[in-house]
Amino acid sequence: MSMTLLEATGLRRHYQVRAGRGPFGAKAVLRAVDGVSLSLKPGRTLGLVGESGCGKSTTGKLVLGFIPPTAGTVRYRGTDMPPAGTPAWRALRPRMQMVYQDPLGALDRRLPVGVQIMEPLAIHGAKSPAEQRDRAAGVMAAVGLQMHQFDRYPHELSGGQRQRVVLARALMTEPDLLVCDEPISALDVSIQAQVVNLLLDLQDQMGIAYLFISHDLKVVRQVSHEVAVMYLGRIVEQGEAEDLFARPLHPYTRALVSAIPVLGPRRERLLLQGDPPNPVDVPSGCSFHTRCPFATAACRAETPALRTLPDGRQVACHRVEEPALQVAA
Amino acid sequence: MAVRDALPAPLPTSGLSVIARRIARLPFAVSLATLWLALMVVVALGADLLLPYSITAFDLKARLSPPLFFGGTFAHPLGTDELGRDVLSRLIMSIRMSLLIALFGTLIAATLGTLLGILAAHFRRFVETLILMAIDFQASMPFMIIALSVLAFFGNSLPLFIGLMGFHSWERYARITRGLTLAANEQGYASAVRQLGAGPGRIYGRHVLPNIASTLIVSMTLTFPEIILLESGLSFLGLGVQPPLTSLGNMVGYGREYITRAPWIMLAPATVIVLTTLSISLLGDWVRDKLDPTLR
Amino acid sequence: MLLFTASRALRAALTILFVMTFAFVVLRLSGDPALLIMSVDAPPEAIKAFREAWGLERPIWEQYLSYIGHAFTGDFGKSMRDGRPAIDLVMERVPATLAITLPALALKVGLGIPAGVYAALHRNSFADRMTMAVSVAGFTMPSFVLALLLVLLFSVNLGWLPASGADSPTYAILPIITLGASGAAIMARFTRSAMLEVLGQPYIRAASAKGVEWRRVISHHALPNAAIPTVTIIGFMIGSLVAGAVVVESVFAWPGIGRLLVSAVANRDLAVVQAILMVIATWMVLANFTVDMAYGWLDPRVRGTAAAH
Repeated sequence: MSMTLLEATGLRRHYQVRAGRGPFGAKAVLRAVDGVSLSLKPGRTLGLVGESGCGKSTTGKLVLGFIPPTAGTVRYRGTDMPPAGTPAWRALRPRMQMVYQDPLGALDRRLPVGVQIMEPLAIHGAKSPAEQRDRAAGVMAAVGLQMHQFDRYPHELSGGQRQRVVLARALMTEPDLLVCDEPISALDVSIQAQVVNLLLDLQDQMGIAYLFISHDLKVVRQVSHEVAVMYLGRIVEQGEAEDLFARPLHPYTRALVSAIPVLGPRRERLLLQGDPPNPVDVPSGCSFHTRCPFATAACRAETPALRTLPDGRQVACHRVEEPALQVAA
Repeated sequence: MAVRDALPAPLPTSGLSVIARRIARLPFAVSLATLWLALMVVVALGADLLLPYSITAFDLKARLSPPLFFGGTFAHPLGTDELGRDVLSRLIMSIRMSLLIALFGTLIAATLGTLLGILAAHFRRFVETLILMAIDFQASMPFMIIALSVLAFFGNSLPLFIGLMGFHSWERYARITRGLTLAANEQGYASAVRQLGAGPGRIYGRHVLPNIASTLIVSMTLTFPEIILLESGLSFLGLGVQPPLTSLGNMVGYGREYITRAPWIMLAPATVIVLTTLSISLLGDWVRDKLDPTLR
Repeated sequence: MLLFTASRALRAALTILFVMTFAFVVLRLSGDPALLIMSVDAPPEAIKAFREAWGLERPIWEQYLSYIGHAFTGDFGKSMRDGRPAIDLVMERVPATLAITLPALALKVGLGIPAGVYAALHRNSFADRMTMAVSVAGFTMPSFVLALLLVLLFSVNLGWLPASGADSPTYAILPIITLGASGAAIMARFTRSAMLEVLGQPYIRAASAKGVEWRRVISHHALPNAAIPTVTIIGFMIGSLVAGAVVVESVFAWPGIGRLLVSAVANRDLAVVQAILMVIATWMVLANFTVDMAYGWLDPRVRGTAAAH
C-alpha cells in the first residue's frame, strides 16, 4: 500500500549484558525488542501498550531511527531509515518528532522556551528569524501557550505548560509523525485530559500520525485507532482499538483490560500471577506461559506466531480459538 | 574529594541589589579572601605601573636592606636582596608571572579536559576506552613526577612549562564532562535536540557546554591554586621558571640561600603564595557550596 | 574474589606498561635517545655500541618491545654522571627515602585520624573549628614554605635542630615533621568528612534509637564504616610517599630518591630519571593494588559492584 507512512518489519534490539560476575563473567543477551512489525498510515494513531520494561520505549526509538536495530528494517514513505546522525537522517527529522515523558528533562533549562521552540527551524535553516518567530507564535497559540511565555525558562512553567512547549517544538516543522512516549504520565491527572484533547485536536487539524506509547489503557483507548499490546519485546495482540478493548483475545490483553477500573457491576477479573519474568531470561515457548492461567505443555515448548484471525485481529496465542478458553473468559 | 555537607542552594537570581545583599551577607573570611584576590589581580594587571624599580636594578649601597619596620627604609619597603635588588619589585613581577602561569595552565587544562570528555562521550567505544585509560594513568601517577620527567626529557622553556602546567588535572574536567555529557546524551535535553536533527556542533556548543559550564568553572577554583603550588614547587627546585624571569617559587628558592641573614627575601613571596592559595580555596569552597551542591 | 584479584592485578600491570610506553614515547619525541642518554660528548664507538645494544636501527615496534624488555629487567642504561647502572643508583637511595617517609606516614595516620574523628564527634566545637582551620592551612601551605619556616624557627632562631644533611638521626626530624604535618591535615579533614557522612546515615540513627549505647554505636557502627573511605586516602598517601618527598628532600638535602630525581632532572640524566619513574610507578601501582585488596576485604559490597560494572 502506497498510503503507508511508516512500516517497521521484524525489528529487534538486543543488548549485551553481563550476567555473571567479574570481567570474565558470562555474557547474556537482553532482548528488549524481539521481532516487532508495525505500520502506520497518515493521520492515524497506533497505541502501544504494555507493562514497563516490555520494550515500548525502545520500539519508539527504533521507529525514529534514533537507535540502530539489531535486525529488521524501518521504512518511512517507502524509503529505508538512514543511520542515526547521518546528514540524511538529520534531514528527515523535520518529518518525524518525539514527545517525551519528562518534558523538563527534554528541555534545556538554560534557554528561554521560545528559543527552544524555534530551534528546529534554526537547525534546518531556510527561514529568517522573523519568520521563525511568527511560526513559533502560531504554533504556541495552537498548543495553548501564550506569547508572554516565550521568554520564560522551563523551570518557570508548570508541568502541563512544559509539555505544551515540547509539543510546540515538535510541531514547528509540520511533521507527519509524532512518537509520543508516555506523554502524559508525568503530568497531574487534571492536566492529562487537556493534553490528550490537545493531541486529538492537533491530529484533526494537521493530519499527524501518532505512535502513542503508554501503559495507561484508558488513554490509549481514547486516542488510538489501532492498538498493539507488547509483552517482553513482542507484540502479542493487535487490532482495532474499540474492538480490542471490547473483546480482548490474548490472555495477557484480557488481564490488562479487566484491570481497567469501570463503573457499574463488578466484572469477573483475570488476575495475573507474579511479576513479568526477567527480560534477560525469557521463558521458553510462549513467553507469557509463566503467568498465563490457560498455559499447557505446548505453550511451554513452542513460541506462538502472531496470526491474523478471520476478523482481522492479530493474536500470538496457541489456544485463542479453543472454545474452552472462550467459556473461561 | 573532600566530602562537604552540601546544602541545597536556591538558584542564583540576577539583579544588582541581590548581588549587593549577597556581598553584605558574605562570611568575614570570604570577604577578606575576595579583597586579597582583588589586590593580587590589580597587582598582576598593573605590574608595570606599580613597579618601583626594575627587577634587575642593583642598588649596591643597600644590599640586604631589611623591610620597613625591621630597620629598613621607605626606599625599599620590603627590603632588598644580596645584589641590592628591590624585593617589592621582584615580588610584583613574580605575582604577575605566577598568576599568569596558573591562569593559562587552568585554561589549558579545562579546555583540553572538556574537549576529551566530550569526544569520549560522543564517540564511545574505542575513543572512550583510550581516553579513560589516559585518565586512569594521569590519576595514578603524581603529576609532580610526570612533570619532572617531561622537564628532564625536553628541557625547559616558558611556553613548554606553561603547556606542562596545562596538563595538570585535565583529567578532572574530562571526567566531569564525560559524565555529564553521557547523562545528557542518554536521556535529556541533548538527546531531545539530537532528535530534532541538530549536529554535534549545536548539541555540544549551544546546549551541553552552557549547561555544564558552572560545574567546570567551580572545578577551576580547585585547579588554579593547585597549579600555583605546583609551579612554585618546581620553580623553587630551580626546574620551573628560569632566571632572569622570576616567579613566587623562584623567589623563595633564591631567598632560601639567605634564610639566616635576610629571611624577608623568602618570607615575602612565601606569604603571598600561602595567602593567595588560601583565599582561592576559601572563595572556591564558598562558591561551590552556593552554586553547585552536587559537586563534592 | 579470585576474579576480582585477577582483574585488579591485570589493571596494575597495564598501568606499569602504560608508564613505560609514556617514557618510551616521550624519549623518542625528545630526540635521539643515544645522544640524550649517552650525552653529546660521548665517543662515537660508545654511541654506536649503545645504538646496537638498544637496537636503534631496527623498526620502531621492535625497539619498543626491546625497550620494554630492558625495562622489565631493570636495565635503564647507565647514569651519565658516574657511569653506574641507573637502577643501582636509585635502589641505594630507597632506604633513605623510606627513613623519613614511613615515620611521616605514621605521623599522618596517628595524628590525622584521631583529630578527624574527634572533630566529627564534636562538630562545631572550638576544637573542631581549630582542627579545620589548621587543616585548611595544611592544605594550602606548600611543603617548601613549611619546611623553610621550620628551619627558620628550629634551626636559625632556636638552634635546636640541624637544617640540612643526613649525618645523624636528628637530621631526619624536620623532614619528617614537614612531610607529616600537611598529610595529617589532609587526613584529619578527610576523616572528619567520612565520619560526618556516616553519622548522618539512617543505620546510625536507628542504632542509637533502639537504645544502643552511643559509645558502642561509634565503635561498632560508625568507625568501621568511616574506615572504608579512609583506607583509600591512606593508600593514596602510601602511593605518593616517594613522590611527595621530592621537594622536602631537596630542601633538607636529604639523600633520598627525591633529591636524586631533582638533580637528575637538572642534569638531564635521563637513564636515572627513567629508572626513578619506573620505581615510583611500580610503587604507586603496588600501593593501589594493596588498597583495592584491603577495600574488598573491608567492604564485601565492592567485590559485587566491581563485578557488576
